[in-house]
Amino acid sequence: MIDVTFLLLIYFIVTTVFTPAESLLSPALQLEEGAASQTQDFEPQIVTLEMQGIHTVYVLGGQVLTSRVEFATTIAKLPIAPGLIIRVKNEVPVGFALTAVQEARNAGFERVTYVPAVD
Amino acid sequence: MEFKGNKSRVIIPVVEMTPMIDIVFLLIIFFMVAAQFAQQAHIKLDLPTEVGEEITHKEQNKLVINILEDGTIIVDKSEGSISLQELESIVGSTLGEDNTSWQNITLRADENALSKSLNEVIGVLHKHGLSATNVATETP
Repeated sequence: MIDVTFLLLIYFIVTTVFTPAESLLSPALQLEEGAASQTQDFEPQIVTLEMQGIHTVYVLGGQVLTSRVEFATTIAKLPIAPGLIIRVKNEVPVGFALTAVQEARNAGFERVTYVPAVD
Repeated sequence: MEFKGNKSRVIIPVVEMTPMIDIVFLLIIFFMVAAQFAQQAHIKLDLPTEVGEEITHKEQNKLVINILEDGTIIVDKSEGSISLQELESIVGSTLGEDNTSWQNITLRADENALSKSLNEVIGVLHKHGLSATNVATETP
């Protein structure tokens, strides 16, 4: 019995796969033709994520921000109340898109809206 | 003079097995349960490494939409890749269940996948009237 028990133990030790912990980001959703932004009282603050050459960039009010730190510093100066709309172009990697959502949350924006950009 | 107790006795060492078996059984139970969780685990993806948000009351996932690096969409209820049209009907039927909201739906997208696929999936969710979504990240 002990032999069988040990065999079972070894089997389960070898076959068990532990998965890393996951967390969640929860942006609001809006399509570009949506009417939600038209009913807002404030001028919407829009950041567009796109590729320039081989580099991913954040475009915010005419400024082209190339680094995450630069983007974080810039949005930290924006007013929180109007929220932040993140327009994501199709060619941008998902990982990059979520850096913008995370930084917007870190900056204290309660309403972070993800908008698929229509090219 | 001879003492009664002077006779040499053979002492047989007894190894107490009960605690060891208890521990081994506990270990087996632990690994069986852990293996069960592993079976239920999601499709393996390189999720974006972000802190995410603290979810105070996590709703039960009723639908997990996986987006692979090549843009393939796999829903946990299906065995293979599905088209956007199939996804639409799956989302529709999931939202038809009682008490299902955006909080019961999670998107898992590979960090290297193009946002095109994510945008298309979000388009489908938006078409069904979902105002927000959960995007899974890997805790750093």
